Amino acid sequence: MERVNIVLCGLGGQGILFMTRVLAQAALDKGFPVMGAETHGMAQRGGSVISHLIFGDVQGSMARSGTVHFLLSLDENEGYRNLPFLSRGGKLFVNTDPKDFPRQEVKGFLEDRHITSRAVPASHIARDLGAPRSSNLALLGFFAAFGEGPLAYVELKSIIENISPKRFKEINSAVFEAGYNKRDQWKGTISY
Amino acid sequence: MVTSYPGTPSSEILPEVIRFVKSAHLDTYVEWSTNEKVALDTAFAASITGKRAACCMKQVGLNVAADSLMSSAYLGTRGGLVIISADDPGPHSSQTEQDTRFMARVAKVPVLDPSNPQEAREMVSLAMDISEEFSVPVVLRPAIRVCHARQSITFNSFHESDRKASFERNPQRWAATPRFRLTLHRELNRKLRKIAERFETLSHYNFHNLEPGRRYPLGIIAGGVPYSVIRDILAEKHRTDIPVLKIGTPFPFPEKLAAEFTAACNRVLVLEETDTVIEYFLQNKDKVLGRLSLHVPSEGELVPDLLYGIVSNTLEELGLERLCQAEDPEAAELIASLELPVRRPTLCPGCPHRAAFFAIRKARPKAIFASDIGCYTLGLNLGAVDTCLDMGAAITMASGFYHAFAQDEIVQPIVATIGDSTFFHSGTAGLLNAVYNGARFILVILDNQTTAMTGMQPTPELGIRADGSRGKAVSLERIVKGCGCDFIEVIDPYDIKKMTDMIKKASDYVNSPDGGIAVIIARHPCVIAYPEEAVPEKIHVEVTDACVECNVCLERFECPALYHDQELGRVNVNRELCVDCGVCIQVCPKGAIVEA
Repeated sequence: MERVNIVLCGLGGQGILFMTRVLAQAALDKGFPVMGAETHGMAQRGGSVISHLIFGDVQGSMARSGTVHFLLSLDENEGYRNLPFLSRGGKLFVNTDPKDFPRQEVKGFLEDRHITSRAVPASHIARDLGAPRSSNLALLGFFAAFGEGPLAYVELKSIIENISPKRFKEINSAVFEAGYNKRDQWKGTISY
Repeated sequence: MVTSYPGTPSSEILPEVIRFVKSAHLDTYVEWSTNEKVALDTAFAASITGKRAACCMKQVGLNVAADSLMSSAYLGTRGGLVIISADDPGPHSSQTEQDTRFMARVAKVPVLDPSNPQEAREMVSLAMDISEEFSVPVVLRPAIRVCHARQSITFNSFHESDRKASFERNPQRWAATPRFRLTLHRELNRKLRKIAERFETLSHYNFHNLEPGRRYPLGIIAGGVPYSVIRDILAEKHRTDIPVLKIGTPFPFPEKLAAEFTAACNRVLVLEETDTVIEYFLQNKDKVLGRLSLHVPSEGELVPDLLYGIVSNTLEELGLERLCQAEDPEAAELIASLELPVRRPTLCPGCPHRAAFFAIRKARPKAIFASDIGCYTLGLNLGAVDTCLDMGAAITMASGFYHAFAQDEIVQPIVATIGDSTFFHSGTAGLLNAVYNGARFILVILDNQTTAMTGMQPTPELGIRADGSRGKAVSLERIVKGCGCDFIEVIDPYDIKKMTDMIKKASDYVNSPDGGIAVIIARHPCVIAYPEEAVPEKIHVEVTDACVECNVCLERFECPALYHDQELGRVNVNRELCVDCGVCIQVCPKGAIVEA
């Protein structure tokens, strides 16, 4: 298969490791070779957190700058911080208010490199459903909605249902679906 | 038997062993030991009864276990003994970037260096076999990108051993005096020579891709994670002109294989983490490029981007074709120009340590704050942590500070803070030393009833063992009393007023004629491990217009759930993060934080 590099980022406590698990498990179930690197330890206490996921035949667990196909960020600033990872034509998904996104200063950069950027208010979606800590799944649902990655919506959804703790299963699934449904409201422009 | 003391990036090993043992219905004894030396001694004893044993820790934990490691190398083993010591190049979550491979060399035990999780799995069984064949402990050194990596790997079938414990009395070996130690040392050296021969032919872990008869301007010698990274880069760029020698067994070093490789190359670039083990072992030094020649930085992690740049620059320096698009200065400049906020780690919303630190700082603002290793090191954000040396040093350094100032007849307030698990790990020796030698300071044991930083492992106080079974609960109060302390108080730090008063009372005791060490156990469950017990009564807070933007709550209390709201011109509450502990109500000097 063609190699797919994904970077997930945000702040400690936002559920980046859970997102990583969902994607990794879905890829594994599909028979992709999976490799990935995660942040644990002190940085998890509110600091910058980043996960790398690589589907394909590799031995190293981290992607290099300029080689990442999908960058998913649970925090707008962390998304900007990790922009150099994105390859030409890469896709950026950020949890923030789409109204003021992206920042003026980065627009030229994104256009030059044909990077598509999309924002979704994942935190608001999760909060409105009474699960403020599940914004990670709203972002994941939104990402799945565009069908650009190697993993389909239904594949991710069944993994979420399988690996969520019992009492969160229903709500996690609902938040994921709500993120997915935000696609219809997405009015951004694709830069290519 | 598998023993461990948690520490990033090794903490996940034992829980996974337990999961495996349970799912395969194996009879494996597992324990969270109170520290790494305890863990290694325990595993060593199991080994000399003939059973197989493993002991897991982080690299600085191996310092704590060093006494056990050095001596066990001489005594040798019976059942296989594998010591897994996880390194942290970066460092991401450690006080040093030390290289376990060097520790293994100092102890004269073989060390294996996996490049990825799949190889780590294979190397565990190799390590067991080598240990049993040569009766020597074997170290496995996975670095953080092996430990905290995810990889689809294949499992081999396994069989359960039915070995029964036996002990053959042999004091000349198991209780060897210095005279016999010389003999044991000679024996160990003999074993190492034999293992070295074995490693020369271990072509699955030590190998190169030289073409016979071909000469190369540059070759790369790599081990551990950098091997995986460089292999991927060279494959991606189709650079078959650069041969690679992979070293999976850095000690004993496969010298002949390395000499053969070096002979075919005009220059060799050494890529390894974190120190210069391979580089030191290489004979033909004038060919070697690496840390000693300043081609590779001597500190920090060799992340793929950095490694790519090192190789590209070296190629250019040697007049060879470089790798394309090594750097992206435009992207780096753009990100720098955005002036993004630096997100430093901070204590969680509702963390009882935050309340304790706030009270400590309020009650004794001029004290020296000796602290220790755990989540609560983040008390430095609150100005309530001045020192952090190693596990247990809050108490020993407080003692040292006391004596240094007392000698000059200066009454210097000192408040030491140590977590419950760190206290169980190495607090008692320091505490009874401080009591015995007449030190005076306040010791606050931050008892959140878990080993929080490394992922909520249980402590002896809970009486719950690694596999979830019941153990005997060990009382912190009784240990402190047993160390000879006379002032012991238990308090809930969520009540900041009471906590502040208690510190003042403790201070009076410390400075009284018959005073000594005042111990306060600040007991409140960790908000992550026990969300319900930690916040039994939800207090929904809001900020009123009485807020004068003095920022005491943001700077001195630093709860991530409080932020300055530009639009409102006052502090506001981030509902996503707030856990409704209500502690901040006590913090605002203007009474602007209230229950809604």
